[in-house]
Amino acid sequence: MVEMVSKDNIENNTSSPLKKRGISYKQQDKIAFMILRGFALAIVLLLGLMIYQLFQASAPAIKEFGFSFIYNDFWNPIEDEFGALPFIYGTLVTSLIAILIAAPVSIAIALFINEYLPKALGNLLGLFVELISAIPSIIFGLWGLYYLAPWVKDSLTPILKSTLGFLPLFSGPSFGIGILTASIILSIMIIPTITSVCREVFKVVPSLQKEAALALGATKFEAIKLAILKPSFSGVMGAVVLGLGRALGETMAVAMVIGNSAEISKSLFGAGATMASVMANEYAEADSEIHLSALCLIGLLLFVVTFFVNFFARSITWKAKMRGKKV
Amino acid sequence: MSDVVLKVNDLKAWFDDFNAVKGIDLEYKRNTINAIIGPSGCGKSTYIRCLNRIHEEVAGAKISGEVLLEGKNIYAPDADPVEVRKHIGMVFQKPNPFPAMSIFDNVVIGPRLWGERNKKNLEEIAYKSLQKAALWDEVKDKLHQEGTSLSGGQQQRLCLARTLATNPPIILMDEPTSALDPIAAAKVEDLMMELKDEYTVIVVTHNMQQAARVADYTSFFVLGELIEHGLSSDIFTNPKNQKTEDYITGRFG
Repeated sequence: MVEMVSKDNIENNTSSPLKKRGISYKQQDKIAFMILRGFALAIVLLLGLMIYQLFQASAPAIKEFGFSFIYNDFWNPIEDEFGALPFIYGTLVTSLIAILIAAPVSIAIALFINEYLPKALGNLLGLFVELISAIPSIIFGLWGLYYLAPWVKDSLTPILKSTLGFLPLFSGPSFGIGILTASIILSIMIIPTITSVCREVFKVVPSLQKEAALALGATKFEAIKLAILKPSFSGVMGAVVLGLGRALGETMAVAMVIGNSAEISKSLFGAGATMASVMANEYAEADSEIHLSALCLIGLLLFVVTFFVNFFARSITWKAKMRGKKV
Repeated sequence: MSDVVLKVNDLKAWFDDFNAVKGIDLEYKRNTINAIIGPSGCGKSTYIRCLNRIHEEVAGAKISGEVLLEGKNIYAPDADPVEVRKHIGMVFQKPNPFPAMSIFDNVVIGPRLWGERNKKNLEEIAYKSLQKAALWDEVKDKLHQEGTSLSGGQQQRLCLARTLATNPPIILMDEPTSALDPIAAAKVEDLMMELKDEYTVIVVTHNMQQAARVADYTSFFVLGELIEHGLSSDIFTNPKNQKTEDYITGRFG
């Protein structure tokens, strides 16, 4: 060691022009690397910590109800009996209807922007669509409450009743707020997500096949179907699932228009609640420990489901993009 | 039937403000192979893309002039580009079979688009077209595999078969062999010679040997202008224009 130090000193004394004073560049890079790595790791740790703490908080409910929590259809804070089925049902139904409405609309918008509009105009419209996702959830909720709900009650319901009224889905009275209104709000909220991912997916499809289709005497729309829609099918599915992920977790706007009742309504006009909306509504007023824990358990379930839905969606779109680049 | 199947009158084409093709007059005789040669950026690709109205699909494209197919202007106001392209087929530079679609489906896509639904007819068309494209023997046992699973040369012949399936009297080829290895390219060249009996072929090529070997007529383009046009035997042995001579002897381009 002593030798090493003296050697260093000698080198310093000779002051090589290639040696930097103070902290060397190599060390600077090392420090920068450590700091950046620290931040990156922190976010992963945070994710783990959240799951762990959510798990801890829901432990009493897991112990008390076990698996029956998922399939029991009563939610009774007074008797401290909790089953999450009404909320799981509400979440699935609102999200699925939202997807059914939003997916075709978003695909159409994305195709129109990418394939029909001049580039500058297309980007402008794309920007508008993406701005929708910047509108705070509560604004959607208010709009839903004051404009959409009355419209559903007075205009949409009579039409649905006269055409599809024989289905149990469209039976019973409509009060405006309910599952259908929540689904429509959700569909509007997820359109930007699906549209922008679809645009990305369509963009990486090579234009060669489109020209091939045109040269074979296909109309423009046929060429688009053949050369753009068909090869990007899996990517579009990914976009839709990503939209689903957003719909599952959306809270505020849904809580404001769904009616918040822990029941399983066969009719879409009926009131309901979703996993996210029940947490928002009841968390502040839950006074028993088991009620709080049950809400946390719903949170844990929702967290796990949305995590996997998002993971799944991203892996599909990523694969689709990779394939697009290879062709 | 007149001997001239396609006549081009004062054809000009633009990308936005850039004038890529500057007034071309040419005639193409039935059942001939016609090569277009010229240095990169001479507008030959743009020119050939005007002949089946595919140039106009690019943003900012403009065209003027006439292209008479059997005496009828394909740019007439009442001419439908979709209809035009049913009569004038095109094979592109890069093989572009439709992905996620079987070899069979790729070949019969044209007739299917035009409404042919009869399975037997489609099978007949697929067989004939793949035979003509000299691909049948190589793919007959795997017609239901994806078209993109084939080699580059096979893919290009698949694209040719796809064009032949629509039976257009005129086939345009935009550098059809430039993305292929020499052996695959030679196969496509042989095919062109055979196709001559039934079709009129117009081919853009970078490869002067190819033009000399296969083409009856050759046109030489520079900067969007037609410099010289004539029998390939004349162009390559006895060019009249100095520029042509410089190009084919490798002094320019």
